Amino acid sequence: MGASKLEMEPFHRGAEANLFLSTIDSWKVVVKQRISKAYRNASLDDKIRRERTLSEVSTMHDAKAAGVKAPSITGVEAETDTFSMTFVDGTIARDCLDGMSPREATTLFEKLGAMIGLLHSGGIVHGDLTTSNIMVTLERDPFLVDFGMARRSSDPEDRGVDLHLLQLSIVTSHLKDASPLVKALATGYSKTAGRAIHESSWAKAREISRRGRYFAIR
Amino acid sequence: MCLGIESTAHTFGASIVNDGRIITNVNRTYRPPPGIGIHPRKASEHHVTVSEDVVAKAIKSPNGHQFHPDIIAYAAGPGLGPCLRIGATVARALASFLDRPLVPVHHGVAHLDIAMSLGKARDPLAVLISGGHTAMLVHLNNRWRVYGETQDITLGNVLDMFGREAKLPPPGGRSVEDLAKRGHRLLDLPYTVKGNDVAYSGLLTAAVNMFHKGAGVEDVCFSLQEIAFSMLSEAVERSLVQTRRDEVVVAGGVAANSRLREMLESVAKDHDASFYQVPVEYSGDCGAQIACSGSLAFKHGAKVSNADSYVIPRWRMDEVDVPWVPRN
Ligand SMILES: Nc1ncnc2c1ncn2[C@@H]1O[C@H](COP(=O)(O)OP(=O)(O)O)[C@@H](O)[C@H]1O
Ligand SMILES: [Mg+2]
Repeated sequence: MGASKLEMEPFHRGAEANLFLSTIDSWKVVVKQRISKAYRNASLDDKIRRERTLSEVSTMHDAKAAGVKAPSITGVEAETDTFSMTFVDGTIARDCLDGMSPREATTLFEKLGAMIGLLHSGGIVHGDLTTSNIMVTLERDPFLVDFGMARRSSDPEDRGVDLHLLQLSIVTSHLKDASPLVKALATGYSKTAGRAIHESSWAKAREISRRGRYFAIR
Repeated sequence: MCLGIESTAHTFGASIVNDGRIITNVNRTYRPPPGIGIHPRKASEHHVTVSEDVVAKAIKSPNGHQFHPDIIAYAAGPGLGPCLRIGATVARALASFLDRPLVPVHHGVAHLDIAMSLGKARDPLAVLISGGHTAMLVHLNNRWRVYGETQDITLGNVLDMFGREAKLPPPGGRSVEDLAKRGHRLLDLPYTVKGNDVAYSGLLTAAVNMFHKGAGVEDVCFSLQEIAFSMLSEAVERSLVQTRRDEVVVAGGVAANSRLREMLESVAKDHDASFYQVPVEYSGDCGAQIACSGSLAFKHGAKVSNADSYVIPRWRMDEVDVPWVPRN
């Protein structure tokens, strides 16, 4: 990593990080560097970027071991809050979902559900599961990226947050009706998560969206 | 011309809005004795006492001319039942006396309506931060959608409750802000962002404990602000990236904090979004927000008969159709 990447223009400026394309031998890789936030106190900023980078690298690795499709880690440089991973040739669901036929979309969400089921039954939660962090390949296979908020957890509440957030990201960012997608997601999820996890996670997800905290506390 | 009546919590307000312009805005706020939270019945008694005077002032121009509103709007919820009922009763009486249509308004929608009108926003990411709310919303498919919010207490609660625990002069938000300016050491307090949501109760408890264990109050206030505001700013940043809006509007009384404003403005700038913050006199609960929202709602057919003019203490924002957003 190091010097070569710094001369390049990032191909993506995200909420947290700049991403650069690079190569290792004949492999395309993506270099992700968490950037400092001007709004944040400097020591808090350093702490958050370091923690997120290290947890992203380890949970992404664990997720793959659990059978989830995610990039493979190819290098880490903690001092610069940077790591590299294999390149996923695809588009984020944020950009391609609305262009899909209802059939394609439900097929995708069923596969996605199965993958999240594997993640959760492997004791990992993603923590930022939105359509911006799901990549879709040409073969219409979903890949999970952006594990910065991910961690090990077997708390149903945390799994519920994943499922809830994914639904919310459809409702707030996509014109498609969320309900058939959520149904497909649940079908896929039930196939890999196991019955106990399936039931507790969805019960929590429903509870979270019912809470309507914003209105109750006035 | 619309007369709007606000009485969801501690403020009773009345205001005249004409053609999108705020003509009058008269508000009186119930202040509980120091160290005590708001008591719904006490607040409603306050509202009864001030209501006649507030309305009389609101419908009179500075030169003594009396306004004749075409619409009477009132905040039907969400809020404290006893308080809501006072506003609704006053509005009902006026509507039947003047023979004018009665328009129920959602208090949260109204915060956003006035923010968008003043800031000339079209289709923003809205950040609502007050004693009653800490939420990020976008409008899609006819409704406001809450994209992120607090999972427990609001940012306004955090500052007020810390102020009370540390026996700072109320309002807590102001005291914490002043003390924080003199703090500089970042204490180790929990930072909790879950997806797009934030959770503040752990942070509050830890800050209170540190204070009681003898950490300097300036440093505690400084750290409390830095962590609480960074959590919110991060959630706002994530929401902005996912929802791809290019405008940010900030409404609600807590937004008056200058450090918070600086942070949110920086997030908007980083993502090439325009930034607008509602001026203090319209960011807290006020009659003008209700009059502003009522005018828009009436144009889109909202009205109720006197008999159906219920109040709805728990009224979710995503249950309200808002066809007037995006604005043209
Ligand atoms: N391994 C990868 N291969 C190809 N593109 C990627 C890869 N990882 C991330 N991206 C792209 O970069 C974007 C931002 O990456 P992400 O990890 O989500 O960072 P951020 O925290 O800034 O959101 C993703 O939305 C995706 O478009
Ligand atoms: Mg991302």
